[in-house]
Amino acid sequence: MNESPYALPVVHSAVGIMTPLLLAAIGGLFTELAGMLNIALEGLILSGAFFSVILASATNSLALGILLGVACAMLLALLFGSVTLFLRANGFITGLATNLLASGLTIVLANQFFHTKGVIQFHNIPRLPVLTVPPALQRIPLVGDVLFGNNIIVYITWAIVLVSTLIIYRSSFGLRLRATGLSPRTIVSLGLSPKSYQLAGILISGATCGMAGAMLSLQLAAFVPESSAGRGWIALVAIYLGNKTPWGIVIAAFVFGMAESLSNYAQGVITVPADFILALPYVITVAAMILYAIYRHYRAPRA
Amino acid sequence: MNGKGRLADWLAGLRGLGVTLGLAFALAIACMLLLSREPLAAIYSFFIGPFTNRYALGNMLNTAVPLVFTGLGISLAFKSSVYNLGGEGQVYAGGLAATAVCLALPAANGYLGGLLALAASGVVSAILGGLSGFFRMRWNADEMISSFLISAAVILVVDYCITGPLDDPSNNLLSTYAIGAQYQLLRIFPPSRLNGSAFIALAAAGMGWLFLYKSQAGYEMRMCGLNREFARYGGINVSTYLVLPMVLSGGLHGLAGGLSVLGTYGASIKGFSSGMGWNGIAVALIARNNPLGVLPASLLFAYLDAGARAATLGSDITYEIVAVIQSVIFYLVTAQALWGLNRRRAA
Repeated sequence: MNESPYALPVVHSAVGIMTPLLLAAIGGLFTELAGMLNIALEGLILSGAFFSVILASATNSLALGILLGVACAMLLALLFGSVTLFLRANGFITGLATNLLASGLTIVLANQFFHTKGVIQFHNIPRLPVLTVPPALQRIPLVGDVLFGNNIIVYITWAIVLVSTLIIYRSSFGLRLRATGLSPRTIVSLGLSPKSYQLAGILISGATCGMAGAMLSLQLAAFVPESSAGRGWIALVAIYLGNKTPWGIVIAAFVFGMAESLSNYAQGVITVPADFILALPYVITVAAMILYAIYRHYRAPRA
Repeated sequence: MNGKGRLADWLAGLRGLGVTLGLAFALAIACMLLLSREPLAAIYSFFIGPFTNRYALGNMLNTAVPLVFTGLGISLAFKSSVYNLGGEGQVYAGGLAATAVCLALPAANGYLGGLLALAASGVVSAILGGLSGFFRMRWNADEMISSFLISAAVILVVDYCITGPLDDPSNNLLSTYAIGAQYQLLRIFPPSRLNGSAFIALAAAGMGWLFLYKSQAGYEMRMCGLNREFARYGGINVSTYLVLPMVLSGGLHGLAGGLSVLGTYGASIKGFSSGMGWNGIAVALIARNNPLGVLPASLLFAYLDAGARAATLGSDITYEIVAVIQSVIFYLVTAQALWGLNRRRAA
C-alpha cells in the first residue's frame, strides 16, 4: 500500500466531501434569509451535476462546463422561483416539483443522447486542477490536510463563503435580503419588492448548487444518476444547525463531512453492507437535527 | 361565504385544473415531438394505449390503488397542516413488513395471515410517520425534513433486506422469496393485475371522508390545520394533532405497500414502490385534500403512468418522461394565480 501523502487522510477527505454540501447550504442560506424554504436544493445540485459534466465534455473545457452547469442550474432555479413567486404557488410543492423535474429530465436526456440510464463516463475531461505543494508542507497535520491538495472548486467555495459573509452582513443588498425574511413590509415601505429579493436568493442558491453538482460529477468525470444523493436535504439541515450563519454552516458542513469520511474509512476496517453506509449520512443528519431541536427546546426561555 | 361566491370559486378551481392539465398534456406532446423519431406513434400510444386492451386498462386501474392510499395519507396530514415527506420510505417499509409476515407464516390461513401482514405493514409505517410527529410535538423538530430523512435511510435499509437476507437467489430479479399463494388477493379483471385491493381502496376513501368530515377527531384535526392557535383556544388538544395525522398518514402509506405486495407483486421487489409516495402528494393536492377527490386524482396519475408505459412499449420514448410531465402538474397545482384564488387574503 502506498503511503498516503496526507498526515490525516480522514480529515483531508472530509474537506472534499463537505464542499458540495457547503456550497448548497451557503446558497440555500440566501433563500432562507429571504424567508423562503428551499426544498429544491437537491434538484438544483443534480441538474448542475448533469449539465456541467456533459457540457464540459462537449466544449472540451472544464471552465466552460462549470459555468454552463451553473447557468443551467440557475435556469432551473429561475423556473422554481418564478412559479413560486409570480404564479403564487406553494414553495414547498414547487420545490418538490423541481426535484422531480431534475431527476426525470436528466434521465430522459441521458437516454436520448447517450442511450443509457446508467452511469455516463467521459474520457475527454481533464481532472480538476489540484493545488500541489511540497510534501513537507502537505504533511503538516491538519494544516496540510485542510489547506493543500484540494481541487480548485474547494478553493472557489472558500472564496464564495467569504464573499457571501460580506454580502449578507456588509452590503445593502444583504441587509435588505435579511429584512425581506424578517419583515417584508419594511421592504415594501422602502418602495422595493420583497419578491425580487426572494428571487435573487433563489437564483444564488441555483448558482451555488450548480457548482456543487459540478464538483460531484467533474471529480469523477462521469454523471451518476441521482448523484445528488440527498445532499440538498442535508444542506437544508446544515443551514438550521449552522444557526443560519455562514460560519455556523461551515462548521455543520465539516461535521457532516467528517462523519461521512470516517464511515468511509470504517468500511475498510469492518465489513458493513454498502446500503448501511449509504444510509448513514441520513441517520447522522436526522440525529443531529433532533439533538439540535432538543438543545433549543431546553435552552429556550420559558414564556 | 354565499352560494354565488362558492360557485365562482368552484368554476375558478375547474379553470385552474384545466390549465394545469392542459399544460401538462401539451408538454407531454411537445416532449414526444422533440424526443421521438416516430412522434405520432408515441403520442397515440401515450394517450390511447392504456385503453386499447383489458391488460393495459386493468393495470392502469391497479396502479391507482396504492395512489389512493398514499393520496389519502397525504390528505389527512395536509388537512391538519402537518407535512409528511416520508411517503416513499413508508410505502416501501410497509411492503417489506407484509412480505416478512407472509414469509414467516408460509402455511397460515390466507385470510388471517393476510390480515396480520396488512396490520404489520400499517403499524410499521405508522411508527415511522409517528416518530416524526413525536419529534415535532416534543421538541419542535421540523416533521417535514425529519420524515424525509428517516424515509431516505429506511429505503436503503429495505433495499438491503430485499437484496440481502430475504433475497431469493433463484430468480433474476432483485426480489425477496415469493409469498404463499394463499395470500394472493383475488384477480378481478384478468389478464391484468387488478385485484381485490381496489375495493379496499374505495372503502378507504369513503372512510377517510367520514373520518375527516363526520367525526370529532376529524373536525379537531381540520381545526388544527386551519389555525392551531385558534384550535388551542377552543380547547382542542393540539399536540395530539401533530402526532395523530403523522401516524394515520404513515399507516395509510404502509397499507399502500402491503396491498401492493399481496395484490400485485407477490413479493418485495427492489424499488417496487418508487414514486408512490411522491405521487401521493400530487394526488392529494389535485384532490384539494378531499378524500373523495383522491379517487379521480389517483386515476389521473395512473393514466399518466400507464400512458408512459404504453409509449415505452409502443415507441422509442423512455418511461421517465412521466416524471417530467408530473413535475408540471406539481408546479402548477398550487399556483393560486392559475386557480383563481386571488381574492383570498394571504395568510
